[in-house]
Amino acid sequence: MAPYILRRLWRTLLVLIGISVVVFTFVRSIPGDPATAILGERANPESVARLTKQLGLDKPWFFNPAHPLDAQYPLYVNALLHGDLGAGIKSQIPVRDELRSRFPATAELAIGALFFALLIGLPAGILAALRRNSAWDSLATGLSLVGVSMPIFWLGLLLVWIFAVLLGWLPPSARLSTGVDLQPVTGLYVLDGLLRGQPAASWDALRHLILPAIALGSIPMAIIARITRSSLLEVLGQDYVRTARAKGVAANRVTIRHALRNALLPVVTVVGLQAGALLGGAVLTETIFSWPGLGSWLYDAISLRDYPVIQGGVIFAALIVSVVNLLVDLSYALLDPRIQYR
Amino acid sequence: MKKLFLTALLASSMLGGAQAATLVFGNNGDPVSLEPGNITDGISLAVQRQIYDTLVDFKDGTTDPTPGLAISWKSNPDATVWTFNLRKNVKFQDGTPFNADAVVFNWTRFWDPKSPYGFRDQGRTYEIMADLLGGFKGDKTAVIKNIVKVDDSTVRFELTGGNSDFPVVIGAGYFGMASPTAIKAQGAKYGTPASTPVGTGPFSFVSWKTGDSVVLKPNMEYWGAKPKVTGLVIRSIKDPSQRLNELKAGTIDFASDLTPDSLNAVKADKNLTAVLKPSFNVGFLSLNNRNKYLANQQVRTAISMAINKKAIAEAFWNGLAVSNASFLPPVMAWANSDAVPADYKYDPAAAKKMLADAGYANGFSLDLWYMPVSRPYFPNPKDIAQAIAADLSAVGIKANLKTEDWAKYLDDRNKEPGFDMYMIGWTGDYGSPDNFYGAYYGANASDDINYNPAQLQSLLEQGRAALTRPGKAKVYAQLHELTYKAAFRIPMAHSQPLAAARTYVKGWVPSPLGSEAFNNIILVGKK
Repeated sequence: MAPYILRRLWRTLLVLIGISVVVFTFVRSIPGDPATAILGERANPESVARLTKQLGLDKPWFFNPAHPLDAQYPLYVNALLHGDLGAGIKSQIPVRDELRSRFPATAELAIGALFFALLIGLPAGILAALRRNSAWDSLATGLSLVGVSMPIFWLGLLLVWIFAVLLGWLPPSARLSTGVDLQPVTGLYVLDGLLRGQPAASWDALRHLILPAIALGSIPMAIIARITRSSLLEVLGQDYVRTARAKGVAANRVTIRHALRNALLPVVTVVGLQAGALLGGAVLTETIFSWPGLGSWLYDAISLRDYPVIQGGVIFAALIVSVVNLLVDLSYALLDPRIQYR
Repeated sequence: MKKLFLTALLASSMLGGAQAATLVFGNNGDPVSLEPGNITDGISLAVQRQIYDTLVDFKDGTTDPTPGLAISWKSNPDATVWTFNLRKNVKFQDGTPFNADAVVFNWTRFWDPKSPYGFRDQGRTYEIMADLLGGFKGDKTAVIKNIVKVDDSTVRFELTGGNSDFPVVIGAGYFGMASPTAIKAQGAKYGTPASTPVGTGPFSFVSWKTGDSVVLKPNMEYWGAKPKVTGLVIRSIKDPSQRLNELKAGTIDFASDLTPDSLNAVKADKNLTAVLKPSFNVGFLSLNNRNKYLANQQVRTAISMAINKKAIAEAFWNGLAVSNASFLPPVMAWANSDAVPADYKYDPAAAKKMLADAGYANGFSLDLWYMPVSRPYFPNPKDIAQAIAADLSAVGIKANLKTEDWAKYLDDRNKEPGFDMYMIGWTGDYGSPDNFYGAYYGANASDDINYNPAQLQSLLEQGRAALTRPGKAKVYAQLHELTYKAAFRIPMAHSQPLAAARTYVKGWVPSPLGSEAFNNIILVGKK
């Protein structure tokens, strides 16, 4: 087990180095440069040239014949090794500090979305499989079809319109109401409220989380429902389940003890993949709900060509996805005794 | 169960009312920086205007100068030296006295690349100095030659040439006066969310949660009208429809730059009041001299006559725009010529005839580029571009619509050969025609259309140097005639950005310049 983990970590490191080179080259290859983007309508060639020089973006990318290390990539990697991801070109805020405040926001939203997806998707899938071809089955299948095909931004706006504007039950955006003062501990506000002994703040944070979590969780919910259904149907048709039934084990027990546990394996994979994707930031949802996470931050950075932010954000997201994938693979061993790690 | 859940939600929404009399503004996004002089965006300006004062201020809702931190100013006869008398007994929010030293400290940071407190080694650029004041200490084009402390409450700016706009330029919101003590203590961090910006303004800084909000509190020592609210929260809400939703839900009190088509929704809501800002921008089409058809003046004139600007403004700005005006917004109509109309009249028949006279009876085709982003001066560029193309096809010109990512768009327009015909615009910084003409016809302007006659440059210089309004009006009238006849830049509309407030918000007078202090706003019966 330990050598396997080490091997995986080594591979992750190689992936991250590869990604750093790729993203570094990629952001500089997209036409349009940070200076022009920052200056906007005011951009005139002279100002752009001056700003570019000031930002050190006039240096060669990877190699400077005159001073081999006076090029953008070596300078970046050198800073990276000192734990310095640079500062946003536009904000001048160290990328590290931004990650520290924005990742928890994204994580909270992702947890909320997955919670919603499992809460609805799992029972719907199980019910659909057990009551195959019934009205329940059609309902669950229909629900998942709608969940997958409804555009997130449209669903998000619809949710805001109905629950925030028309009914006034839930806040339309942000993470806390104006005037609620909560000092972050973990950055997950619902949790922080409880840790700080401010249940009202925790409740307020939860109310802000509901709509964006539903919007973001709609697609994973649909996928989970479908995978659960098809995987459970497959397992229920297998010999060992039939054997258990023949032995006279109660039907419910068979389903729960034997079939469900095995049927959940592919669901774990899907949840893991979805978690990785969600933790990388959800651009549309975060934008619609003014949710200050990684997604909206990276989206802005890309339109502004904010190189340090894009680089830092993408490398960080890659790291998170790698770690989540590793955890998913390891959790297999707990669920499926047939899997061995070497 | 479900019923219980909904009841709980209802109960909580009743309990969750904001504290009384905290004012909540829905800003167009998150500020870039709260350091004066180092920003070019309106979102940062809206926040900075609350924390900082400038030497020269503007009368509510106008572009007319009025005393700010300077109580009076005068120039020598040729406007090359400006002397400002400073307001006495003013303190920064950290107790540091405001005086000539503070003014010289701030302006030296902006203007002198060698200032130890400019932190240019840390990526500080003060690019607005290049935009509005020609550059930095030692640059050939720089407006400022020297900054001198005369005595504790007098500062003198010596300029490289005559410039009668100087007071209104330095009144632009970019040039807020910050506490030298705070800047020296906080160094390059100053202005970031991790710092504490300090000015002399009506509100002082409490906290900034990036991507979320900036919290301010009233400065009870303020030299001017003291704020009438217990707190101010400026929330970052990028999407205009989201701002409208927040207004309707009552989670914010007021907001600017809603889309023009929200007007009916605002009017239909009895809790909201529509607030129209005076127009201070221009959305226009630029025609490129490098294109063989557009190099012909008759063709350019025909294009201007072929476009039904009035109908387009009605349709796409929901009537919240002035069309058939010159390149300058209506508040500066005094600078237009009487010899020519403000703009070409819509006359497709005459346009067709003119094209035939120019030898293009069978028409031709060219590219029309539209912006990929919405701006106050072009709320929905693609629809507007389609309408323009339809008008042009009626006179035989086929316009191929094109667009690309905003940063690339701004880049490519200045790269040879540039775009044939493209949409762009400008929002003013201060109330002088030079701010509009200079931005697109000036010596440092973008080289997007390859049109820069010497006569135009000389008129721009004369306009800057003219001391009186009648004197200026004479020069700008000539500039108007010249650019009208040349027809390289076709003004489409001057929009009136739509703002809205909850009905209990009183005393908000939006400034045409895009940001104003909120110290006169009163909340009457906000729950």
